[in-house]
Amino acid sequence: MAVVLGVCMAGCYRVSDTFPPNRVYTVRLERAFRQPFEPQRQAELRKLMTDLFGGPDQPRVPAEVRSLGLFNDEWLAAAAGPVGSDKGGRSKGLFREHCAVCHGVSGDGVGPVAFVLKPYPRDFRRGLFKFKATPKGAKPTHEDLRRIIETGIPGTGMPSYRVLPAWEIDALAQYVTYLSVRGEVERGLIDYAAGELRPDQPIVDEDATDEEQATQRRVISDLVSTVARSWRQSESLVTPVRPPKSGRDRNASIARGRELFLGDVANCVKCHGPSALGDGQTTDYDDWAKEIDPTDSIALAEYCRSGALGPRPIQPRNLRLGIYHGGGRPEDLYRRIHNGIDGTPMPAALIKAPNSPPSTKGLTEDDIWCLVDYISSLPGTSETNSSP
Amino acid sequence: MANRQSAVVAQHDRMSPWPFRLAVMLSCVTFPLISIGGLVTSYDAGMAVPDWPNTYGYNLLLYPYTTWLFGPWDLFLEHGHRLLGVLAGLFAMGLVAVTYRVDSRRPARIATVAALVAVTAQGGLGGARVLLDDRQLAMLHGCVGPAFFAYCVALASCLSPKWQSLVPKLLGAHSDRKMLLDQKLRRFTLLLALLFYVQLVLGAQLRHIPVTAGPWLFNMSLLLHLTNAVLLTLSVTVLGLSLRRGRVEPELRPVVSAMAVLLCIQLVLGVTTWVVKYGWPYWFAQSLFAASFTVHAKSMTQTGIATLHMAVGSLILAAAVLTHVQTRQLLRAQLRNAPRQTTPGMVK
Ligand code: HEC
Ligand code: HEC
Repeated sequence: MAVVLGVCMAGCYRVSDTFPPNRVYTVRLERAFRQPFEPQRQAELRKLMTDLFGGPDQPRVPAEVRSLGLFNDEWLAAAAGPVGSDKGGRSKGLFREHCAVCHGVSGDGVGPVAFVLKPYPRDFRRGLFKFKATPKGAKPTHEDLRRIIETGIPGTGMPSYRVLPAWEIDALAQYVTYLSVRGEVERGLIDYAAGELRPDQPIVDEDATDEEQATQRRVISDLVSTVARSWRQSESLVTPVRPPKSGRDRNASIARGRELFLGDVANCVKCHGPSALGDGQTTDYDDWAKEIDPTDSIALAEYCRSGALGPRPIQPRNLRLGIYHGGGRPEDLYRRIHNGIDGTPMPAALIKAPNSPPSTKGLTEDDIWCLVDYISSLPGTSETNSSP
Repeated sequence: MANRQSAVVAQHDRMSPWPFRLAVMLSCVTFPLISIGGLVTSYDAGMAVPDWPNTYGYNLLLYPYTTWLFGPWDLFLEHGHRLLGVLAGLFAMGLVAVTYRVDSRRPARIATVAALVAVTAQGGLGGARVLLDDRQLAMLHGCVGPAFFAYCVALASCLSPKWQSLVPKLLGAHSDRKMLLDQKLRRFTLLLALLFYVQLVLGAQLRHIPVTAGPWLFNMSLLLHLTNAVLLTLSVTVLGLSLRRGRVEPELRPVVSAMAVLLCIQLVLGVTTWVVKYGWPYWFAQSLFAASFTVHAKSMTQTGIATLHMAVGSLILAAAVLTHVQTRQLLRAQLRNAPRQTTPGMVK
């Protein structure tokens, strides 16, 4: 009996040839436009996506992306597909071996283990990442993704993969990019179909004239190029970090940092609390949760039925522990405060020119260094001596 | 009656120790076999050798040992696991051969043949797991392993001349009250062994969770695994207390104590396995030890602890099965003795 059961279960959990569609986002647009996605539209989307990007076993790179040189076929082949290794002992199926239990085969962040983790594993399909050297709205660099995979994120479920050879980490970082590009294109297509087309109108009409079909295909190809270019650009968008003025007085800098932290321009106190324990604003949500309308219980029920994980409020970091998820070097902290944390409520600093009049609202680069100094001075000190 | 009894004693005194020795050796090979099997899972090395029964086209036994010993780690594990499997098969064959020569009891013969069939089937299952490259089959293979190990241990106990000779010596010390207790104990230990096995299957489900499964499957298995852990801890505590109060045959003391000690270790290992795999639960997020803890995937600590958790689980299962089998043996001895007091309540 156990054998029969086992064989039956074996059938149920095979990884299919196509990636599962983004149901949750479809539901979101169905709700927004008050119009259901017809089954044939869902089928068409799935087919279009498979034509463009292939499936979990055979990833494909659309021509528009290929020309940008974003992907290396050898890495892609090693990261995708079922787990195993070839005769030379080189591993295959890296993503499914290491990441899919948490991040899901399609990178939707709903792997089997996802629910028990807080924070939830990242949904890669929005192309939205927290810890990177680039500003909010920009994509992470390859190096940013590598760093996360290599060091992991302390205090969360995200493991460090330091034991893997460097090329495997490269391959995995690139596969994360692949899943993101794919996910963003899928979202773009869902947006386009819901917003621009009649419910029964196909995205690419096989019956239309060649000319019309070419126009329709150009929409898709433009979408793919836009997404791929945003990834290509990231390297050039890295926020520069100019070292602080030499010979500054550290104590004065810390004092100024504290003033800024508590003041209403930087207003760090709003979320991180007066004693920086992360106990200020604790009822807000991150962008992934906001997408499923966390405060609307009826909508939420529908999202959860289509596979979303229930939203949980995001906690601002307790800065007195001195543990940082995006790296603890001064330049990491500088970038984090300068750029904010994408996908979370933590805002980018409002920057003003160094010699603008004092009445202008905003922070200078020096102010940010003062904040860095203040924050670095917090771990190990008692809470009381910095309360106002 | 007295004649029959002395005949029994005589028969056991003459019993050849060889079936027992082979069964013990089989158990001793099976334990590392399933532990390395667990490591194979930890390192996802199951597919390190993609063919079966050959290893990269070589006959299993002729695969160049230098490549095996000095090649990639996952190949070392997988091929080693297969070689140990072959060894277990050989011991099982030896066991059958010897038992047929020296032991005329039918149940003993059948039991050893069953062991041989089981080890062969398990090897086939392992092969199917590789050829079909399937995680659920891997899980099934992983669940049969510990059951087979427990079976071998129980078999060794049944073939043990020492236990067999112990049994007739017990015949004098018999009372109805005790027999009743032992009957309860037999049912209780059977339930315990079954629950331990369920616990192992749930643990395997957690480890082999298919990547396409929805979170509900993992959540449910986890919940059951934890609830069952509490249940088992309580049961073993009850058993331990009864032993201390003298309600359980003192002959069972070693195995029950071993089970209790192993269970304590197992609880610690279980918590540790979780932490090294998924980090501290969020309740501890405000403590430095939890906030600064980074999970290190595939590290020695992670794989070592997960495998230990599994290996100790198999040992506990074997201990539980052994407790049950020995309880049965004690009970059987008492029953054999029972006809002497045909009227209940008659003072012996
Ligand atoms: C045990 C579960 C788990 C596994 C396995 C896992 N991750 Fe994660 N991962 C997480 C969690 C949880 C987060 C979210 C952390 C946060 O939001 O602070 C995350 C976040 C990430 C991020 C986003 C970081 C950012 O800046 O936003 C990337 C990229 C990532 N993981 C890649 C991977 C890759 C690649 C693998 C496989 C090699 C992997 N993860 C395996 C749990 C996991
Ligand atoms: C609107 C709320 C909000 C405000 C305002 C805010 N933060 Fe945050 N901050 C957060 C949240 C939420 C996180 C945790 C993000 C995560 O990892 O999920 C965070 C994380 C951080 C981190 C940890 C970064 C890391 O790498 O782990 C630092 C440092 C930080 N904030 C500093 C500041 C400073 C300095 C200010 C003021 C300039 C500030 N924050 C203002 C919400 C806020």
